[in-house]
Amino acid sequence: MEALKQKAKELLQNGDVKAVLGYAVGTAGVRRPHFARNPKQVDALVLDEKCTQNLATYLTKHEVKHLGKVAVVALPATQRALLQLVAERQLRDDAICLLAVDGGEVKTLSSGAEVEQHLALKTDAMPAADKAMIEKLMAMTREQRWAYWQQELSRCVKCYACRNSCPMCYCEHCTMDCNRPQWVPVASHALGNLEYHMVRAMHLAGRCVECGECGRACPVGIPVHLLTFFAEESTAKQFGQRAGHTAKLDYALSTFKPDDKETFIR
Amino acid sequence: MSRIGVFTCHCGENIGATVDCAKVSEMCQHIPGVVHSVDYKYMCSDPGQRMMQEAIKEHSLDGVVVAACSPRMHEPTFRRAVSNAGVNPYMCEMANLREHCSWVHEKSEATTQKAADLIRVLVEKVKHNTPLFPIKVPVTKTAMVVGGGVAGIQVALDIANGGHKVILVEKSPSIGGHMSQLSETFPTLDCSQCILTPRMVEAAQHPNITLMTYSEVEKVDGFIGNFKVTVRKKARKLDEKLCTGCGLCIQKCPNKKISDEFNEGLGTRTAIYVPFPQAVPNKPVIDTLNCTFYKTGKCKVCEKVCPTNAIRFEQEDELVTLDIGAIVLATGFKLMKTEAFPEYGYGKHKDIIDGMQFERLASASGPTAGVMKRPSDGKEPETVVFIACSGSRDRSKGVPYCSKVCCMYTAKHAMLYKHKVHSGKAYVFYMDIRASGKDYDEFVRRAIEEDDVKYIRGRVSKIYEEDGKLIVKGADTLMGGEQVEIKADMVVLATAVQSNDRSEELAQTLHVSYDTYGFFAEAHPKLRPVETNTGGIFLAGACQAPRDIPESVAQASAAAAKVLGLFSQDQLTREPIVAVVNRQAGPTFSYCVGCFLCQTACPYQAIEQEHITARNGDVIKTIARINPGLCQGCGTCVATCRTKAIDLQGFSNEQLYAEIMTL
Repeated sequence: MEALKQKAKELLQNGDVKAVLGYAVGTAGVRRPHFARNPKQVDALVLDEKCTQNLATYLTKHEVKHLGKVAVVALPATQRALLQLVAERQLRDDAICLLAVDGGEVKTLSSGAEVEQHLALKTDAMPAADKAMIEKLMAMTREQRWAYWQQELSRCVKCYACRNSCPMCYCEHCTMDCNRPQWVPVASHALGNLEYHMVRAMHLAGRCVECGECGRACPVGIPVHLLTFFAEESTAKQFGQRAGHTAKLDYALSTFKPDDKETFIR
Repeated sequence: MSRIGVFTCHCGENIGATVDCAKVSEMCQHIPGVVHSVDYKYMCSDPGQRMMQEAIKEHSLDGVVVAACSPRMHEPTFRRAVSNAGVNPYMCEMANLREHCSWVHEKSEATTQKAADLIRVLVEKVKHNTPLFPIKVPVTKTAMVVGGGVAGIQVALDIANGGHKVILVEKSPSIGGHMSQLSETFPTLDCSQCILTPRMVEAAQHPNITLMTYSEVEKVDGFIGNFKVTVRKKARKLDEKLCTGCGLCIQKCPNKKISDEFNEGLGTRTAIYVPFPQAVPNKPVIDTLNCTFYKTGKCKVCEKVCPTNAIRFEQEDELVTLDIGAIVLATGFKLMKTEAFPEYGYGKHKDIIDGMQFERLASASGPTAGVMKRPSDGKEPETVVFIACSGSRDRSKGVPYCSKVCCMYTAKHAMLYKHKVHSGKAYVFYMDIRASGKDYDEFVRRAIEEDDVKYIRGRVSKIYEEDGKLIVKGADTLMGGEQVEIKADMVVLATAVQSNDRSEELAQTLHVSYDTYGFFAEAHPKLRPVETNTGGIFLAGACQAPRDIPESVAQASAAAAKVLGLFSQDQLTREPIVAVVNRQAGPTFSYCVGCFLCQTACPYQAIEQEHITARNGDVIKTIARINPGLCQGCGTCVATCRTKAIDLQGFSNEQLYAEIMTL
């Protein structure tokens, strides 16, 4: 922790970055994002197992972009998100400054290639609980699964927290906001909810970095992250590639490779 | 509120017999926005069109739905009619009552209802239509012909004579192609070089033709009328402007034992060489793989003897980028090698040769000066066996197709041999004789009847050497499959015609389709035989399929006609059915967020980057831009775009949504 603070102060003092984005203690002990814009504000930084939020989400926001170069305290999921954002040209490669904490050591990663290298050492498997849940759902019959999601999605209030918390949902104008034509009904009724979540899952297939932020953000506790996890897993199975592993654009759903499997054409 | 007219056509009995057109017309009257609805026996006829135009004026229509046949059939007709009445042609849509309804259903109430529904859908679309205007693209009136064989030369000459500039790119040091290697040509037995070399010289001297020999196409960007082609000019290692072609360097080159490609390995050449004496241009190249200087760093004899100091050992390949309006591919073919035949000894017998090697043996300019000598010991062969369909029509060799020219050239070879060796015996093993062409069958009959060539219908199973003879074992299927054994001195395999070595790579560079065998694919096998699926790229000769000389030349002239047609206009008019990226006022500027996933999805490379800049030149935002000249309106980008920032003109999201929601 001290090493991290030390590094953050160094970066700010040298003027390498304009701010350090990390975690601080918020109301009722929750961990909230914290922008340290001067060495004094660095002291509020914390990093423990309660820090789960994917901070990459903030980097594409106008307000943050205007700050200039920002160093980010990056969990593996944040690192993957960053690579995917570079691949999709939302961040410039030279704008990367990641602080990866490994044990007591702080590593500064300052290019896509370095992040790729660092990530290659990690095997960030899906949380066991999520894996078990997906397996449980896949073991169900189609009808049971349909009933499960109908039940779950009936609680959705269309607050779009899942969308807004997602690092890959950076579009300025979301399909959900499109009203000529109104593809998805605005109201949170059965059809509108289902369409929204299906569209979201499809838009993230091959792009989801599996951070699970959407599920954590949901105020009514719908496991919406399982939908995008599953879409991503299917893409990985069909095309043998995952999002967030390279800074080069390699989107499975828009490219053709001669060795792509054709099992989905039936 | 829209003022839409619906015009229902009976198409004679085609629609009228199954669909109650009068009733459909009546039903359409009540669709909101429709102010006029009539039916008529033949809407596409002159009175039908006139009726439409009068209705447009009388009822001040601003949109038209014609319920008739397929838009592929008559959309241009009706759009023209509407346009002549003063309404934008893209405000006219067609409901396909024939192919989508009357032809596929029985006469019934439901069929009539479906017809009305089809029209209702299109009425909703027209309500959302916007006037569109054809896209004009300029045309660069310079053609590029890739491949300098007989087809390429013919294309180049025809376009050049039509008054346009042509750049003829050939990968080898001289133009002429395979035809320059042939001895005589069927069915007239006239000398190949005698008819080809004047054409080669004509191409070289033509003021409109620029030859780029020893050059290869590296990269192609752009689109019909506006290609940007990068050509690699391989280093000849000499200054072409200074070289006079005196040939002193070739005479003095100490390295004389290099296998000669032009003579198909039957002769030798020097390290600095011209492929053949009549080469155009008559300027040598240095073969850097075999040149002593490049191997050991010493020699430079050619440099010392050159009277004009034209040798440039340090010369590098040069990349030239050219503006081109149309490209004709005439890259030709290659022959399967004798190595591909285990049953005929894997090419290890020197006296088992392929058709092109026989051409060189028979040619007056060949390694034997036209005297029949077999390659192994230079003896005159007394018995020669010709095997047609060597590899062709043979699935096990991966060539199920017919190579087309072999039946004819095998007959020619047998004849040439008999004309040179009067006492010799010539046998031809064949599967079928395919001699369909002007004077072709007569030619084969002449070989059999006048020149006494023995034709045996059957396959050869094995060839092996015994006592200096090649034992050819085969079957005669016309004699009930009787075994035949011939002791031959030389065997000529009419090996299969295959696509050229790098044809698939070239096809990918140019984005043209190709078949399983690597031959370039035409846009339509019957009606568009010289066009490719990519606008502005045409085909000539054997790069498309096995072809003989007359066909290659005919196809070359056809391709030239297509190019001249394209060049006859200053601007190309294209349908405005293209995708556009949404633009609006700042600070958003566009819904596009610049992720460029659409760029990877576009099959036509039509999506480029556009920088939106502030007045001081700072880039505010980078978004996608679709080049209307390249876009084919397939809509893949529209589907890929998550933010719905791309829309297809004429088939916009709004139009399609309205169509679906009305059902």
